[in-house]
Amino acid sequence: MREPPANFPTPVAIAGCGATTAVGRGVEALRSALRANSSGLRACEKFDSPRFQSKITGAIPQTGNDNDNPAWQFATDALEEARSSALEILKKIPAERIGLVLSTTKANIAALERISENRLCSETARRHLQGNFLAADLAAAHGARGPVQCVSVACVSGLVAIQQAAKLIQRGAADAVFVVGVDTLSNFVMAGFTALKAIDPNGCRPFDKDRCGLSPGEAGAAIVLVGQASSLCSSKSQLDRQDACPTIKILGWGGSNDANHLTGPSRDGSGLARAIRSALKMSKLLPAEIDYINAHGTGTPYNDAMESIALKNVFGEACPPFSGAKGMLGHTLGAAGVVETILCAIAMQEKFLPGTPRLNTIAEGVPAGLVREPRSVAKINRVLKLNTGFGGANGALILGHE
Amino acid sequence: MNKIFIAATSKVAAADLPSARLGPRFARLDLQSQMALLAVESLGVDFQEFSPDRVAVCLAAKIGSLSTDVEFWNGRDGAGGPSPTLFAYTLPSAAIGEIAIRHKLTGPNLCFVDDDKILLSEAADLIQRGEADYCVCVSCAVVTAAAAELIQIPPETGACAVFLQRGEGLRELTEFDRDMKSLCANFCRPKISG
Repeated sequence: MREPPANFPTPVAIAGCGATTAVGRGVEALRSALRANSSGLRACEKFDSPRFQSKITGAIPQTGNDNDNPAWQFATDALEEARSSALEILKKIPAERIGLVLSTTKANIAALERISENRLCSETARRHLQGNFLAADLAAAHGARGPVQCVSVACVSGLVAIQQAAKLIQRGAADAVFVVGVDTLSNFVMAGFTALKAIDPNGCRPFDKDRCGLSPGEAGAAIVLVGQASSLCSSKSQLDRQDACPTIKILGWGGSNDANHLTGPSRDGSGLARAIRSALKMSKLLPAEIDYINAHGTGTPYNDAMESIALKNVFGEACPPFSGAKGMLGHTLGAAGVVETILCAIAMQEKFLPGTPRLNTIAEGVPAGLVREPRSVAKINRVLKLNTGFGGANGALILGHE
Repeated sequence: MNKIFIAATSKVAAADLPSARLGPRFARLDLQSQMALLAVESLGVDFQEFSPDRVAVCLAAKIGSLSTDVEFWNGRDGAGGPSPTLFAYTLPSAAIGEIAIRHKLTGPNLCFVDDDKILLSEAADLIQRGEADYCVCVSCAVVTAAAAELIQIPPETGACAVFLQRGEGLRELTEFDRDMKSLCANFCRPKISG
């Protein structure tokens, strides 16, 4: 077994997951969609307006409620599932030793719309306009009395939240941390991406030669991270059906900034390449040891081109198999890093490479490893997860499966 | 464990903005980014002395981007529709991007939506772990009148910045350094080692 890196004294592992996404409620819905390579993108009548570039989104199937606090609802649904799946481990940890890190870009932005339109809006929904209050209330409601943080680094937020949670465990501030990612679809977000002309009218097609934009999406996603102290290792997680201990671990991460443009990635991919190299260095891995890469893959011309260049920069002509999930879920912004890490964990546990939903013709310049349809593999033990975001932020996270 | 030092501090208020001389692009930024850039500029640090990928930028945004969110949303029915420029600033971390662009800083980023009580310790942790050698820490409290009305807190506009590094500085960072505003009020002269 590989030794953990020296600056990584406490191994941190995934003990449970929860997700509410465009493909349905629960990790099982995500697992099924991942296996079937299906897409949850569909026309959403709420956004059927000339004010928006497209009505095709990654909306969570409607409950029929006129909800003034969807961020709370989606986050709570995901967190309840994650806690439930890690129940045996969490029973052994006092509430004071459980932390929560929230990843969000817009928190409960629905409240701003409702208040400005003089629609009914509860005080709680208004309070959750502020991500730190949403985080604090989630922690209080879910029995986390340890440290609480609200992280927001554009679309890299989810990966940064996982890093922050791992750090809390490693420096002894917590024994378990709930990482929660949430962002919701709103007129605010749709109007913004329309103003930027960033939406593909026909639904996003990551790495496709005809790609022309992203599809906004929404999700609540939660991961229970635990330190792998021996006292915790007699419990199974939902991802480890046969093992006696959670086996999917955080091996390392890297971050960087392009310092180039507020809304566009650098053309040469050097920033993302630097983040990947930092993550490999922290994980003490060589590029050839990565079995699969889950790309950011928004479907915008510039992002996917930049990402392709970055992958070639680091991996050369021997790029590992990679794919993107935003054709399935849309771009879930602050939730993306969390929900896409859950996808990676499912793939590692079940030994298959996820596909790239909605891909027709692979664009020129895309590395040869792009996976079109899911396929089984003998091993998928080292996975690299990538995200990039506005403000030039880049993030890379490496997961290991023993 | 390496000691981390406070190498420079700054504190700015809305009244300092008219005298800011930060180029034509500055006027196009949202208020939070302007305050953050001005606070970093006021540190007096020459960032060209450092390897750009070893300088991290960490931000605490007291109410996230809510002041800019309200401005963007209120402009949705204006001529030409909602502003694409302003939309880019409806992310709490937008100011980090502006700081990185101006000073060509390509190290890792961290942004909290909250006051700054954990900012310095998390920034120091980045250095302790070897993820960066230096860190620009910025705390922004930008609550416009419209945002203040929305979330029912008093309006305010201010920012402060701290530059952390290993080795030497004004004084060593301690676990008690949690209030950046007081900290920045107590120091004014930068001392930087390249």
